[in-house]
Amino acid sequence: MTTEAPLLRLENISKSFGAIQALRDISFEIGRGEVVALLGDNGAGKSTLVKIISGGLEPSSGKVVYDGAERHFTSPADGKAAGIETVYQDLSLCTNVDVVANFFMGREIVKKYFGVPVLQEKAMEDVVAKAMAAAGTKIPSLRTNVEHLSGGQRQAIELNRFVHWGGKLVLLDEPFAALGVEQTRRGLELIRRIADQGIGVVFITHIMSQAFQVADRMVVIRQGKVAGDVRRQETSPDEIVQLITGEALGGRARTADQNNGQAQHAG
Amino acid sequence: MLSSNRRAAIEFVLDHLVWFILIAVLALFSLTIPNYFQIGIFANIVEQSTFVGTLAIGLSLLIIAGYMDLSIESVMALAAMVVGILFAKSGVGLGIGFTPAWLVVPISLLIALAVGALVGASNAFFVVRLKMNSFIVTLAAFIWGRGLVVALSGGRSAQELPSELRFLAIERFLQIPLMAWFAIIATLVFAFILNRTPFGRHLLMIGGNPTAAYRAGIKVDRLTAITFVLAGAIAGLAGWLLAIRTSGATANLGVGMLFQTFAAVVIGGVSLKGGVGSLPGVYAGVLLLASIQTAINLMGMPAHFTQLIQGGMVLVAVLLDTFKLNIRKRLA
Repeated sequence: MTTEAPLLRLENISKSFGAIQALRDISFEIGRGEVVALLGDNGAGKSTLVKIISGGLEPSSGKVVYDGAERHFTSPADGKAAGIETVYQDLSLCTNVDVVANFFMGREIVKKYFGVPVLQEKAMEDVVAKAMAAAGTKIPSLRTNVEHLSGGQRQAIELNRFVHWGGKLVLLDEPFAALGVEQTRRGLELIRRIADQGIGVVFITHIMSQAFQVADRMVVIRQGKVAGDVRRQETSPDEIVQLITGEALGGRARTADQNNGQAQHAG
Repeated sequence: MLSSNRRAAIEFVLDHLVWFILIAVLALFSLTIPNYFQIGIFANIVEQSTFVGTLAIGLSLLIIAGYMDLSIESVMALAAMVVGILFAKSGVGLGIGFTPAWLVVPISLLIALAVGALVGASNAFFVVRLKMNSFIVTLAAFIWGRGLVVALSGGRSAQELPSELRFLAIERFLQIPLMAWFAIIATLVFAFILNRTPFGRHLLMIGGNPTAAYRAGIKVDRLTAITFVLAGAIAGLAGWLLAIRTSGATANLGVGMLFQTFAAVVIGGVSLKGGVGSLPGVYAGVLLLASIQTAINLMGMPAHFTQLIQGGMVLVAVLLDTFKLNIRKRLA
């Protein structure tokens, strides 16, 4: 565990959509340079949680303490300004513009002429070419519209984009869904490299082996609650599966959850 | 794998297809229709394109951003009527004058722009704040806008704008009336904004994937609202030009221009799905329609043929769009 104050601390976060309670009393921390895998079944509330951290959704109650202060992000722009980068599972690319435009979406390099900001295409293209080369990603032309690129190439743009912009905390919502074996391996290495720079990483995955390859800690969400918060060295895939499904809970699971899980099981 | 030069050449042709079609059509008409090949005819085509060309700018911006604006024709008429009522000397005109007299030019322009911007802001309020469908909101504005024109004028017309304003319709630069230059310059200015500034880039992105734009920190609502106001103001400009051209305004001024504008925008390569289009292309689309209309007039064909042909052209334009998309897919 890091000794300094954590990068992000969630305190009793709850979120409801009308009558549906998506998240209940979620509390956990992420340290600088720590990789936390967020695990859970479909509909457990992982994506909702990521949106709350990134600013895409506001919690119904609870506190988000980030970088030493309580935050009330009301849009992803707020989160971004504070240094939180997000990669969503349904990709955030505009397929009708080219690779360069996507890479710089919302942060274009401009030069002002008589107070009018003018896009600096050449400068932006150079930056993208450099970033792509560094990551070993090959795209025929950076001026091609993204709609003409393959799923893997699109993922690569999105991943390279967040690596380039860095920030302090990176949220990845199933980032490797469309990637092949080799690209996934490279993606996992990327996550490690980012964390080694002192950036906190939260990544959602369904695939246990990915979580065990790269995560320092695993947080399991079940039915909108934290069902387990364990260090990788102290757990096993079997235990995680049990936490996800709520069956035969191990000793490390939180007592409240255990009761709840069993009650529901019995009922 | 295509060589990059060849690919660039094909991309260039696809991007500017409507210009190539325009040149081909003009060449064809010049060869087959007597008296078509004259500077005067071409200048007339540019002059005719003024109003639809101006309206098309605002409509294109909104369609590119993924919205719709059906109100532009009525906004144009409303701005023209307000200018007519205030500054025309007979009919319902009040004949307000200034010393020096030329002040009427900037003041009437500002009023026309403000009238347009106001309707645009109302559209923006309903679409952005109340999340209503832009098709319905602007359809309503199309109807009430025209209603307001009739109500303001009592169905009568305003005539005789001051000569300081008429000057713009009469005086020519390079054979083209000054007012037509307004449309050309506005097209160039907004083409620059669309292609070379973050505002334009973000507009394209909103049209392509509003969620991604929002996540990237682009202020989607604000940009959308600004675009509605701009489209309104541009329609106001078109109304100002139309009032100058007709030296006043009538209650049914510009009826039918909405559909011509629509046709031109689609022919010019703006995709109704949003996120795709360029303003010079749209201007070429406007010129293309005007060229065909002129050809029909010169051949002495009945005017309703224009509508038949324009309707057909919209269909061809959409087909062409699909065709271009297929070629591009193969290029990538």
